Amino acid sequence: MSITTKESHTQHISQQFNQDLTELRNHILTMGGTVVKQLTDAVEALLEGDTQLAEDVRIKEEQVDEMERAIDEECTQIIALRQPAASDLRLVISTIKMVADLERIGDEASKIARLAIDLAEEGKSPRGYIEVRHISNHVVKMMNDALDTFARFDVDKALSIIKEDREVDAEYRSAIRSLMTFMMEDPRSISQVHNVMWVLRSLERVGDHTANLAEHTIYMVRGMDVRHMSMHDAEQALNS
Amino acid sequence: MTTETLDRENTMQDDAQDVQTDAQGTDGQRTHAIDISTLKRAGAIKNIAEEETALEVKDLKLYYGEKAALHGVNMVIPKKRVTAFIGPSGCGKSTLLRCFNRMNDLVDGCRIEGEILLENKDIYQRNVEVAELRRKVGMVFQKPNPFPKSIYENVAYGLRIQGINKKRVLDETVEWSLRSAALWDEVKDRLNDSALGLSGGQQQRLVIARTVAVKPEVLLLDEPASALDPLSTLKIEELIHQLKDDFTIVIVTHNMQQAARVSDYTAFMYMGNLIEFGNTDELFTNPQKKQTEDYITGRYG
Repeated sequence: MSITTKESHTQHISQQFNQDLTELRNHILTMGGTVVKQLTDAVEALLEGDTQLAEDVRIKEEQVDEMERAIDEECTQIIALRQPAASDLRLVISTIKMVADLERIGDEASKIARLAIDLAEEGKSPRGYIEVRHISNHVVKMMNDALDTFARFDVDKALSIIKEDREVDAEYRSAIRSLMTFMMEDPRSISQVHNVMWVLRSLERVGDHTANLAEHTIYMVRGMDVRHMSMHDAEQALNS
Repeated sequence: MTTETLDRENTMQDDAQDVQTDAQGTDGQRTHAIDISTLKRAGAIKNIAEEETALEVKDLKLYYGEKAALHGVNMVIPKKRVTAFIGPSGCGKSTLLRCFNRMNDLVDGCRIEGEILLENKDIYQRNVEVAELRRKVGMVFQKPNPFPKSIYENVAYGLRIQGINKKRVLDETVEWSLRSAALWDEVKDRLNDSALGLSGGQQQRLVIARTVAVKPEVLLLDEPASALDPLSTLKIEELIHQLKDDFTIVIVTHNMQQAARVSDYTAFMYMGNLIEFGNTDELFTNPQKKQTEDYITGRYG
Protein backbone atom coordinates (compact mmCIF):
# COMPACT_ATOMS: atom_id res chain seq x y z
CA MET A 1 0.00 0.00 0.00
CA SER A 2 1.42 3.35 -0.94
CA ILE A 3 0.63 6.44 1.04
CA THR A 4 3.54 8.60 -0.01
CA THR A 5 2.77 10.73 -3.01
CA LYS A 6 4.44 13.58 -4.79
CA GLU A 7 2.28 16.04 -2.89
CA SER A 8 3.13 14.64 0.50
CA HIS A 9 6.23 16.74 0.85
CA THR A 10 4.18 19.88 0.89
CA GLN A 11 1.28 20.60 3.22
CA HIS A 12 3.35 20.86 6.37
CA ILE A 13 2.06 23.23 8.99
CA SER A 14 5.53 24.76 8.89
CA GLN A 15 5.87 26.57 5.55
CA GLN A 16 9.62 26.82 6.02
CA PHE A 17 9.87 23.05 6.31
CA ASN A 18 7.82 22.65 3.12
CA GLN A 19 10.19 24.96 1.38
CA ASP A 20 13.29 23.17 2.69
CA LEU A 21 12.07 19.80 1.44
CA THR A 22 10.97 21.16 -1.93
CA GLU A 23 14.35 22.79 -2.39
CA LEU A 24 16.10 19.59 -1.41
CA ARG A 25 14.21 17.68 -4.08
CA ASN A 26 14.94 20.35 -6.67
CA HIS A 27 18.61 20.36 -5.81
CA ILE A 28 19.02 16.64 -6.22
CA LEU A 29 17.22 16.78 -9.57
CA THR A 30 19.51 19.61 -10.64
CA MET A 31 22.53 17.60 -9.60
CA GLY A 32 21.15 14.61 -11.47
CA GLY A 33 20.69 16.74 -14.58
CA THR A 34 24.28 17.98 -14.35
CA VAL A 35 25.61 14.45 -14.01
CA VAL A 36 23.58 13.19 -16.99
CA LYS A 37 25.00 16.05 -19.07
CA GLN A 38 28.48 15.17 -17.86
CA LEU A 39 28.01 11.57 -18.96
CA THR A 40 26.56 12.34 -22.39
CA ASP A 41 29.32 14.91 -23.00
CA ALA A 42 32.01 12.43 -21.97
CA VAL A 43 30.70 9.79 -24.38
CA GLU A 44 30.29 12.41 -27.09
CA ALA A 45 33.89 13.56 -26.54
CA LEU A 46 35.06 9.97 -26.84
CA LEU A 47 33.15 9.18 -30.01
CA GLU A 48 34.04 12.45 -31.71
CA GLY A 49 37.60 12.66 -30.39
CA ASP A 50 36.77 16.09 -28.97
CA THR A 51 39.42 16.77 -26.29
CA GLN A 52 38.07 20.22 -25.44
CA LEU A 53 34.66 18.74 -24.55
CA ALA A 54 36.44 16.07 -22.49
CA GLU A 55 38.27 18.78 -20.55
CA ASP A 56 34.93 20.51 -19.89
CA VAL A 57 33.57 17.30 -18.40
CA ARG A 58 36.50 17.09 -16.04
CA ILE A 59 35.99 20.69 -14.94
CA LYS A 60 32.31 20.04 -14.31
CA GLU A 61 33.39 17.34 -11.86
CA GLU A 62 34.27 20.04 -9.33
CA GLN A 63 30.80 21.49 -9.67
CA VAL A 64 29.26 18.08 -8.96
CA ASP A 65 31.47 17.60 -5.91
CA GLU A 66 30.38 20.99 -4.62
CA MET A 67 26.72 20.02 -5.11
CA GLU A 68 27.31 16.82 -3.18
CA ARG A 69 28.69 18.73 -0.24
CA ALA A 70 25.90 21.32 -0.34
CA ILE A 71 23.08 18.77 -0.49
CA ASP A 72 24.59 16.71 2.30
CA GLU A 73 24.80 19.86 4.38
CA GLU A 74 21.15 20.61 3.65
CA CYS A 75 20.19 17.12 4.81
CA THR A 76 22.19 17.52 8.01
CA GLN A 77 20.43 20.81 8.69
CA ILE A 78 17.00 19.32 8.14
CA ILE A 79 17.72 16.39 10.45
CA ALA A 80 19.13 18.66 13.15
CA LEU A 81 16.43 21.31 13.01
CA ARG A 82 13.28 19.43 11.98
CA GLN A 83 13.73 15.88 13.25
CA PRO A 84 11.88 14.59 10.19
CA ALA A 85 9.72 11.48 10.59
CA ALA A 86 8.15 8.91 8.29
CA SER A 87 8.11 9.92 4.61
CA ASP A 88 10.04 13.13 5.31
CA LEU A 89 12.75 11.14 7.03
CA ARG A 90 12.85 8.67 4.16
CA LEU A 91 13.17 11.52 1.67
CA VAL A 92 16.18 12.91 3.54
CA ILE A 93 17.83 9.51 4.00
CA SER A 94 17.36 8.47 0.39
CA THR A 95 18.62 11.87 -0.74
CA ILE A 96 21.85 11.40 1.21
CA LYS A 97 22.36 8.05 -0.49
CA MET A 98 21.36 9.22 -3.95
CA VAL A 99 23.79 12.09 -3.76
CA ALA A 100 26.60 9.63 -3.14
CA ASP A 101 25.57 7.52 -6.13
CA LEU A 102 25.24 10.57 -8.36
CA GLU A 103 28.69 11.74 -7.36
CA ARG A 104 30.10 8.33 -8.25
CA ILE A 105 28.39 8.50 -11.65
CA GLY A 106 30.08 11.87 -12.08
CA ASP A 107 33.41 10.20 -11.28
CA GLU A 108 32.80 7.57 -13.94
CA ALA A 109 31.95 10.28 -16.49
CA SER A 110 35.17 12.00 -15.56
CA LYS A 111 37.09 8.74 -16.09
CA ILE A 112 35.49 8.34 -19.52
CA ALA A 113 36.56 11.89 -20.37
CA ARG A 114 40.13 11.07 -19.31
CA LEU A 115 40.08 7.98 -21.57
CA ALA A 116 38.64 10.10 -24.39
CA ILE A 117 41.66 12.37 -24.14
CA ASP A 118 44.05 9.38 -24.13
CA LEU A 119 42.35 7.83 -27.14
CA ALA A 120 42.35 11.11 -29.04
CA GLU A 121 46.07 11.42 -28.41
CA GLU A 122 47.19 7.88 -29.23
CA GLY A 123 44.74 7.26 -32.05
CA LYS A 124 41.28 5.77 -32.15
CA SER A 125 40.54 2.20 -31.26
CA PRO A 126 39.65 0.10 -34.31
CA ARG A 127 36.72 -1.47 -32.47
CA GLY A 128 34.24 -0.94 -29.65
CA TYR A 129 32.64 2.39 -30.51
CA ILE A 130 29.34 0.83 -31.53
CA GLU A 131 29.15 -0.94 -28.20
CA VAL A 132 30.02 2.27 -26.32
CA ARG A 133 27.30 4.17 -28.15
CA HIS A 134 24.78 1.44 -27.59
CA ILE A 135 25.43 0.91 -23.88
CA SER A 136 25.77 4.62 -23.17
CA ASN A 137 22.40 5.30 -24.81
CA HIS A 138 20.96 2.63 -22.61
CA VAL A 139 22.39 3.90 -19.31
CA VAL A 140 21.61 7.53 -20.11
CA LYS A 141 18.01 6.58 -20.71
CA MET A 142 18.04 4.67 -17.42
CA MET A 143 19.43 7.69 -15.61
CA ASN A 144 16.83 10.03 -17.01
CA ASP A 145 14.18 7.52 -16.03
CA ALA A 146 15.63 7.22 -12.54
CA LEU A 147 15.47 10.97 -12.01
CA ASP A 148 11.97 11.00 -13.40
CA THR A 149 11.03 8.17 -11.08
CA PHE A 150 12.35 10.12 -8.11
CA ALA A 151 10.42 13.21 -9.15
CA ARG A 152 7.19 11.28 -9.69
CA PHE A 153 7.43 8.71 -6.89
CA ASP A 154 6.93 5.98 -9.48
CA VAL A 155 7.71 2.62 -7.89
CA ASP A 156 6.82 0.50 -10.93
CA LYS A 157 9.22 2.40 -13.13
CA ALA A 158 11.91 2.13 -10.47
CA LEU A 159 11.56 -1.64 -10.58
CA SER A 160 11.88 -1.66 -14.35
CA ILE A 161 15.12 0.35 -14.06
CA ILE A 162 16.57 -2.27 -11.74
CA LYS A 163 15.62 -4.89 -14.33
CA GLU A 164 17.23 -2.88 -17.11
CA ASP A 165 20.49 -2.79 -15.20
CA ARG A 166 20.70 -6.55 -15.66
CA GLU A 167 20.32 -6.08 -19.41
CA VAL A 168 23.15 -3.57 -19.34
CA ASP A 169 25.30 -6.07 -17.47
CA ALA A 170 24.61 -8.68 -20.14
CA GLU A 171 25.40 -6.23 -22.92
CA TYR A 172 28.62 -5.29 -21.15
CA ARG A 173 29.71 -8.92 -20.85
CA SER A 174 29.07 -9.68 -24.49
CA ALA A 175 30.87 -6.49 -25.60
CA ILE A 176 33.90 -7.40 -23.49
CA ARG A 177 33.91 -10.90 -24.94
CA SER A 178 33.91 -9.68 -28.51
CA LEU A 179 36.64 -7.10 -27.80
CA MET A 180 38.79 -9.78 -26.18
CA THR A 181 38.46 -11.91 -29.28
CA PHE A 182 39.42 -8.94 -31.39
CA MET A 183 42.50 -8.24 -29.29
CA MET A 184 43.65 -11.83 -29.76
CA GLU A 185 43.33 -11.47 -33.49
CA ASP A 186 45.03 -8.08 -33.62
CA PRO A 187 47.49 -7.62 -30.72
CA ARG A 188 48.76 -4.27 -32.08
CA SER A 189 45.49 -2.63 -31.06
CA ILE A 190 45.53 -3.90 -27.49
CA SER A 191 46.32 -0.54 -25.91
CA GLN A 192 43.46 1.32 -27.62
CA VAL A 193 40.91 -1.47 -27.31
CA HIS A 194 41.83 -1.81 -23.69
CA ASN A 195 40.96 1.84 -23.13
CA VAL A 196 37.58 1.29 -24.74
CA MET A 197 37.04 -1.64 -22.42
CA TRP A 198 37.63 0.68 -19.47
CA VAL A 199 35.00 3.00 -20.90
CA LEU A 200 32.53 0.12 -21.12
CA ARG A 201 33.40 -0.84 -17.59
CA SER A 202 32.61 2.72 -16.41
CA LEU A 203 29.29 2.68 -18.25
CA GLU A 204 28.42 -0.61 -16.65
CA ARG A 205 29.18 0.92 -13.22
CA VAL A 206 26.94 3.86 -14.07
CA GLY A 207 24.18 1.32 -14.68
CA ASP A 208 24.75 -0.13 -11.20
CA HIS A 209 24.63 3.28 -9.55
CA THR A 210 21.49 4.09 -11.49
CA ALA A 211 19.87 0.91 -10.22
CA ASN A 212 20.84 2.10 -6.72
CA LEU A 213 19.06 5.40 -7.39
CA ALA A 214 15.94 3.43 -8.24
CA GLU A 215 16.28 1.36 -5.06
CA HIS A 216 16.55 4.53 -2.95
CA THR A 217 13.43 5.87 -4.63
CA ILE A 218 11.55 2.70 -3.74
CA TYR A 219 12.69 3.11 -0.15
CA MET A 220 11.57 6.71 -0.13
CA VAL A 221 8.12 5.97 -1.50
CA ARG A 222 7.31 2.67 0.13
CA GLY A 223 9.67 2.43 3.09
CA MET A 224 10.90 -0.88 1.78
CA ASP A 225 14.54 -1.85 1.44
CA VAL A 226 14.87 -3.87 -1.77
CA ARG A 227 18.65 -3.85 -1.91
CA HIS A 228 20.26 -7.26 -2.37
CA MET A 229 16.91 -8.83 -3.07
CA SER A 230 16.21 -10.96 -6.08
CA MET A 231 13.94 -9.33 -8.62
CA HIS A 232 11.26 -11.86 -7.83
CA ASP A 233 11.40 -11.20 -4.08
CA ALA A 234 11.42 -7.44 -4.58
CA GLU A 235 8.36 -7.58 -6.82
CA GLN A 236 6.54 -9.78 -4.36
CA ALA A 237 7.43 -7.58 -1.40
CA LEU A 238 6.20 -4.49 -3.23
CA ASN A 239 2.97 -6.05 -4.34
CA SER A 240 2.08 -7.57 -0.99
CA MET B 1 22.92 -7.91 -9.99
CA THR B 2 26.47 -7.23 -11.12
CA THR B 3 29.37 -9.51 -10.44
CA GLU B 4 30.55 -6.97 -7.88
CA THR B 5 27.34 -6.92 -5.93
CA LEU B 6 27.37 -10.66 -6.02
CA ASP B 7 30.89 -10.63 -4.63
CA ARG B 8 29.78 -8.25 -1.95
CA GLU B 9 26.88 -10.49 -1.04
CA ASN B 10 29.15 -13.46 -0.85
CA THR B 11 31.56 -11.69 1.47
CA MET B 12 28.64 -10.66 3.63
CA GLN B 13 27.47 -14.22 3.84
CA ASP B 14 30.98 -15.32 4.72
CA ASP B 15 31.04 -12.72 7.46
CA ALA B 16 27.75 -13.93 8.79
CA GLN B 17 29.10 -17.45 8.88
CA ASP B 18 32.24 -16.29 10.64
CA VAL B 19 30.16 -14.61 13.26
CA GLN B 20 28.23 -17.80 13.75
CA THR B 21 31.36 -19.86 14.21
CA ASP B 22 32.64 -17.23 16.62
CA ALA B 23 29.45 -17.43 18.58
CA GLN B 24 29.82 -21.18 18.78
CA GLY B 25 33.32 -20.68 20.09
CA THR B 26 34.87 -23.03 17.54
CA ASP B 27 37.04 -20.26 16.15
CA GLY B 28 38.32 -18.13 18.96
CA GLN B 29 41.10 -16.53 16.92
CA ARG B 30 39.07 -14.33 14.68
CA THR B 31 37.08 -11.46 16.07
CA HIS B 32 34.78 -9.18 14.16
CA ALA B 33 34.16 -5.56 14.84
CA ILE B 34 30.49 -5.95 14.08
CA ASP B 35 28.42 -8.89 15.13
CA ILE B 36 25.89 -9.18 12.34
CA SER B 37 23.50 -11.33 14.32
CA THR B 38 23.06 -8.60 16.94
CA LEU B 39 22.63 -6.04 14.19
CA LYS B 40 19.77 -8.06 12.86
CA ARG B 41 18.27 -8.42 16.29
CA ALA B 42 18.43 -4.68 16.87
CA GLY B 43 16.56 -4.05 13.67
CA ALA B 44 14.17 -6.93 14.17
CA ILE B 45 10.55 -6.05 14.14
CA LYS B 46 9.01 -6.49 17.53
CA ASN B 47 5.83 -8.38 17.20
CA ILE B 48 3.03 -7.40 19.48
CA ALA B 49 1.33 -10.74 18.93
CA GLU B 50 4.21 -12.47 20.68
CA GLU B 51 4.15 -10.29 23.77
CA GLU B 52 2.57 -11.18 27.09
CA THR B 53 -0.52 -9.16 27.86
CA ALA B 54 -0.71 -6.69 30.74
CA LEU B 55 -3.96 -4.94 29.91
CA GLU B 56 -6.58 -5.73 27.34
CA VAL B 57 -9.06 -3.15 26.18
CA LYS B 58 -12.23 -4.51 24.60
CA ASP B 59 -14.57 -2.27 22.64
CA LEU B 60 -14.22 0.55 25.15
CA LYS B 61 -16.67 3.40 24.71
CA LEU B 62 -16.67 6.43 26.94
CA TYR B 63 -19.14 9.29 27.07
CA TYR B 64 -18.87 12.60 28.87
CA GLY B 65 -22.60 13.28 29.15
CA GLU B 66 -23.97 13.00 25.62
CA LYS B 67 -20.63 13.42 23.96
CA ALA B 68 -18.65 10.31 23.06
CA ALA B 69 -14.94 10.66 23.84
CA LEU B 70 -13.90 7.11 22.90
CA HIS B 71 -15.67 5.22 20.12
CA GLY B 72 -14.93 1.59 20.81
CA VAL B 73 -11.22 1.13 21.39
CA ASN B 74 -9.67 -2.34 21.14
CA MET B 75 -6.07 -2.88 22.08
CA VAL B 76 -3.62 -5.01 24.01
CA ILE B 77 -0.99 -3.35 26.20
CA PRO B 78 2.04 -5.67 26.33
CA LYS B 79 3.67 -6.60 29.63
CA LYS B 80 6.96 -5.01 30.72
CA ARG B 81 7.09 -2.84 27.66
CA VAL B 82 6.64 0.87 27.16
CA THR B 83 3.54 1.80 25.22
CA ALA B 84 3.10 5.41 24.14
CA PHE B 85 -0.17 7.14 23.23
CA ILE B 86 0.18 10.01 20.84
CA GLY B 87 -2.36 12.20 19.09
CA PRO B 88 -3.59 15.78 18.93
CA SER B 89 -5.30 17.45 21.90
CA GLY B 90 -8.75 16.06 22.56
CA CYS B 91 -8.12 12.79 20.73
CA GLY B 92 -8.90 10.75 23.84
CA LYS B 93 -5.44 9.52 24.75
CA SER B 94 -5.49 10.89 28.31
CA THR B 95 -9.08 9.75 28.72
CA LEU B 96 -8.06 6.24 27.72
CA LEU B 97 -5.08 6.31 30.06
CA ARG B 98 -7.30 7.42 32.95
CA CYS B 99 -9.64 4.51 32.29
CA PHE B 100 -6.84 2.11 33.23
CA ASN B 101 -7.08 3.02 36.90
CA ARG B 102 -10.64 4.32 36.88
CA MET B 103 -9.75 7.98 37.32
CA ASN B 104 -12.78 8.81 35.20
CA ASP B 105 -15.06 7.47 37.95
CA LEU B 106 -14.67 10.86 39.60
CA VAL B 107 -15.89 12.78 36.56
CA ASP B 108 -19.57 13.73 36.63
CA GLY B 109 -21.64 12.35 33.78
CA CYS B 110 -18.93 10.02 32.61
CA ARG B 111 -20.26 6.69 31.32
CA ILE B 112 -18.20 3.73 30.22
CA GLU B 113 -19.08 0.71 28.09
CA GLY B 114 -16.84 -2.21 27.22
CA GLU B 115 -14.16 -3.94 29.24
CA ILE B 116 -10.62 -3.43 30.42
CA LEU B 117 -9.01 -6.66 31.54
CA LEU B 118 -6.18 -6.67 34.06
CA GLU B 119 -5.03 -10.21 34.78
CA ASN B 120 -8.07 -11.40 32.85
CA LYS B 121 -10.44 -9.59 35.20
CA ASP B 122 -12.58 -6.66 34.13
CA ILE B 123 -11.56 -3.69 36.26
CA TYR B 124 -15.01 -2.16 35.84
CA GLN B 125 -16.82 -5.01 37.59
CA ARG B 126 -18.77 -4.02 40.68
CA ASN B 127 -16.73 -6.04 43.11
CA VAL B 128 -13.44 -4.43 42.18
CA GLU B 129 -11.82 -2.49 44.99
CA VAL B 130 -10.76 0.78 43.38
CA ALA B 131 -8.06 1.53 45.95
CA GLU B 132 -6.55 -1.89 45.33
CA LEU B 133 -6.78 -1.36 41.57
CA ARG B 134 -4.92 1.91 41.90
CA ARG B 135 -2.18 0.19 43.88
CA LYS B 136 -1.74 -2.19 40.98
CA VAL B 137 -2.04 0.55 38.39
CA GLY B 138 -0.12 3.60 39.55
CA MET B 139 -0.25 6.99 37.91
CA VAL B 140 2.05 9.99 37.54
CA PHE B 141 0.71 13.32 36.29
CA GLN B 142 2.02 16.18 34.25
CA LYS B 143 2.67 18.42 37.24
CA PRO B 144 4.65 16.86 40.06
CA ASN B 145 2.39 16.54 43.09
CA PRO B 146 4.47 15.60 46.13
CA PHE B 147 2.74 15.69 49.49
CA PRO B 148 3.77 18.49 51.84
CA LYS B 149 5.80 16.01 53.87
CA SER B 150 9.39 14.87 54.03
CA ILE B 151 11.00 13.06 51.12
CA TYR B 152 11.03 9.86 53.18
CA GLU B 153 7.37 10.10 54.15
CA ASN B 154 6.33 10.79 50.58
CA VAL B 155 7.79 7.50 49.43
CA ALA B 156 6.68 5.56 52.52
CA TYR B 157 3.14 6.91 52.28
CA GLY B 158 1.66 4.09 50.22
CA LEU B 159 3.12 1.46 52.53
CA ARG B 160 1.88 3.19 55.67
CA ILE B 161 -1.62 3.22 54.18
CA GLN B 162 -1.32 -0.52 53.73
CA GLY B 163 -0.51 -0.70 57.43
CA ILE B 164 3.18 -1.42 57.05
CA ASN B 165 5.05 0.43 59.80
CA LYS B 166 8.15 -1.68 60.38
CA LYS B 167 11.06 0.71 60.12
CA ARG B 168 13.35 -1.82 58.47
CA VAL B 169 10.83 -2.60 55.72
CA LEU B 170 10.08 1.07 55.19
CA ASP B 171 13.76 2.01 55.04
CA GLU B 172 14.48 -0.69 52.51
CA THR B 173 11.53 0.18 50.33
CA VAL B 174 12.28 3.89 50.43
CA GLU B 175 15.86 3.29 49.36
CA TRP B 176 14.87 0.82 46.64
CA SER B 177 12.19 3.13 45.31
CA LEU B 178 14.41 6.19 45.29
CA ARG B 179 17.13 4.19 43.57
CA SER B 180 14.62 2.93 41.01
CA ALA B 181 13.63 6.51 40.36
CA ALA B 182 17.30 7.52 39.99
CA LEU B 183 16.93 9.99 42.83
CA TRP B 184 18.69 8.25 45.72
CA ASP B 185 22.12 9.79 45.25
CA GLU B 186 20.68 13.28 45.14
CA VAL B 187 18.53 13.03 48.27
CA LYS B 188 20.06 10.33 50.48
CA ASP B 189 21.52 12.91 52.88
CA ARG B 190 18.31 14.87 53.30
CA LEU B 191 15.54 12.33 53.45
CA ASN B 192 13.82 14.26 56.22
CA ASP B 193 13.75 17.56 54.35
CA SER B 194 10.48 18.71 52.85
CA ALA B 195 9.76 17.29 49.41
CA LEU B 196 8.60 20.72 48.34
CA GLY B 197 12.19 21.95 48.47
CA LEU B 198 13.19 19.71 45.56
CA SER B 199 13.45 20.99 42.01
CA GLY B 200 10.65 20.23 39.56
CA GLY B 201 12.57 17.39 37.92
CA GLN B 202 13.45 15.90 41.30
CA GLN B 203 9.86 16.24 42.48
CA GLN B 204 8.67 14.35 39.42
CA ARG B 205 11.14 11.54 40.07
CA LEU B 206 10.06 11.55 43.73
CA VAL B 207 6.46 11.08 42.63
CA ILE B 208 7.59 8.17 40.44
CA ALA B 209 9.45 6.72 43.46
CA ARG B 210 6.27 7.07 45.51
CA THR B 211 4.33 5.24 42.81
CA VAL B 212 6.77 2.36 42.40
CA ALA B 213 7.11 1.96 46.20
CA VAL B 214 3.87 -0.02 46.32
CA LYS B 215 5.14 -2.26 43.49
CA PRO B 216 2.38 -1.66 40.97
CA GLU B 217 2.10 -3.80 37.86
CA VAL B 218 1.33 -0.97 35.52
CA LEU B 219 2.68 2.56 35.60
CA LEU B 220 0.62 5.23 33.86
CA LEU B 221 2.51 8.38 32.96
CA ASP B 222 0.44 11.33 31.78
CA GLU B 223 2.80 13.83 30.15
CA PRO B 224 5.41 13.15 32.85
CA ALA B 225 8.07 15.42 31.40
CA SER B 226 6.19 18.24 29.75
CA ALA B 227 6.69 20.63 32.66
CA LEU B 228 10.40 19.87 32.95
CA ASP B 229 13.56 21.28 31.41
CA PRO B 230 15.39 19.24 28.74
CA LEU B 231 17.91 17.68 31.14
CA SER B 232 15.29 16.59 33.66
CA THR B 233 13.29 15.29 30.71
CA LEU B 234 16.22 13.14 29.64
CA LYS B 235 16.57 11.82 33.19
CA ILE B 236 12.90 10.84 33.21
CA GLU B 237 13.30 9.16 29.83
CA GLU B 238 16.34 7.26 31.04
CA LEU B 239 14.34 6.27 34.09
CA ILE B 240 11.48 4.95 31.97
CA HIS B 241 13.99 2.84 30.11
CA GLN B 242 15.19 1.28 33.38
CA LEU B 243 11.74 0.88 34.89
CA LYS B 244 10.43 -1.23 32.03
CA ASP B 245 12.42 -4.18 33.35
CA ASP B 246 10.03 -4.31 36.30
CA PHE B 247 6.86 -2.58 35.19
CA THR B 248 4.47 -2.23 32.31
CA ILE B 249 4.54 1.44 31.36
CA VAL B 250 1.94 3.41 29.46
CA ILE B 251 2.87 6.97 28.63
CA VAL B 252 0.90 9.81 27.12
CA THR B 253 3.04 12.48 25.53
CA HIS B 254 2.71 15.41 23.18
CA ASN B 255 6.38 15.19 22.40
CA MET B 256 6.57 12.79 19.49
CA GLN B 257 10.32 12.47 19.56
CA GLN B 258 9.96 11.46 23.18
CA ALA B 259 7.42 8.80 22.28
CA ALA B 260 9.77 7.58 19.58
CA ARG B 261 12.70 7.46 21.97
CA VAL B 262 11.17 5.81 25.01
CA SER B 263 8.49 3.49 23.74
CA ASP B 264 8.45 0.00 22.27
CA TYR B 265 4.94 0.34 20.91
CA THR B 266 3.04 3.43 19.90
CA ALA B 267 -0.67 4.02 19.55
CA PHE B 268 -1.87 6.93 17.47
CA MET B 269 -5.32 8.21 18.41
CA TYR B 270 -7.51 10.68 16.63
CA MET B 271 -10.98 11.93 17.51
CA GLY B 272 -11.63 9.16 20.01
CA ASN B 273 -10.51 6.35 17.73
CA LEU B 274 -7.41 4.23 17.79
CA ILE B 275 -6.06 4.82 14.29
CA GLU B 276 -2.85 2.86 14.32
CA PHE B 277 -1.10 0.78 16.94
CA GLY B 278 2.19 -0.96 16.42
CA ASN B 279 5.90 -1.20 16.80
CA THR B 280 7.35 2.26 17.44
CA ASP B 281 10.21 1.92 14.95
CA GLU B 282 7.78 1.02 12.21
CA LEU B 283 5.23 3.65 13.10
CA PHE B 284 7.73 6.48 12.97
CA THR B 285 9.53 5.44 9.79
CA ASN B 286 6.77 3.88 7.77
CA PRO B 287 3.28 4.39 9.17
CA GLN B 288 0.51 2.49 7.42
CA LYS B 289 -2.25 5.06 7.79
CA LYS B 290 -2.31 8.45 6.19
CA GLN B 291 -3.67 10.14 9.30
CA THR B 292 -0.70 8.85 11.32
CA GLU B 293 1.71 10.01 8.64
CA ASP B 294 0.17 13.48 8.57
CA TYR B 295 0.31 13.81 12.33
CA ILE B 296 3.87 12.66 12.93
CA THR B 297 5.27 14.66 10.06
CA GLY B 298 3.41 17.79 11.09
CA ARG B 299 1.01 18.16 8.19
CA TYR B 300 -2.54 19.28 8.24
CA GLY B 301 -4.57 16.20 7.47
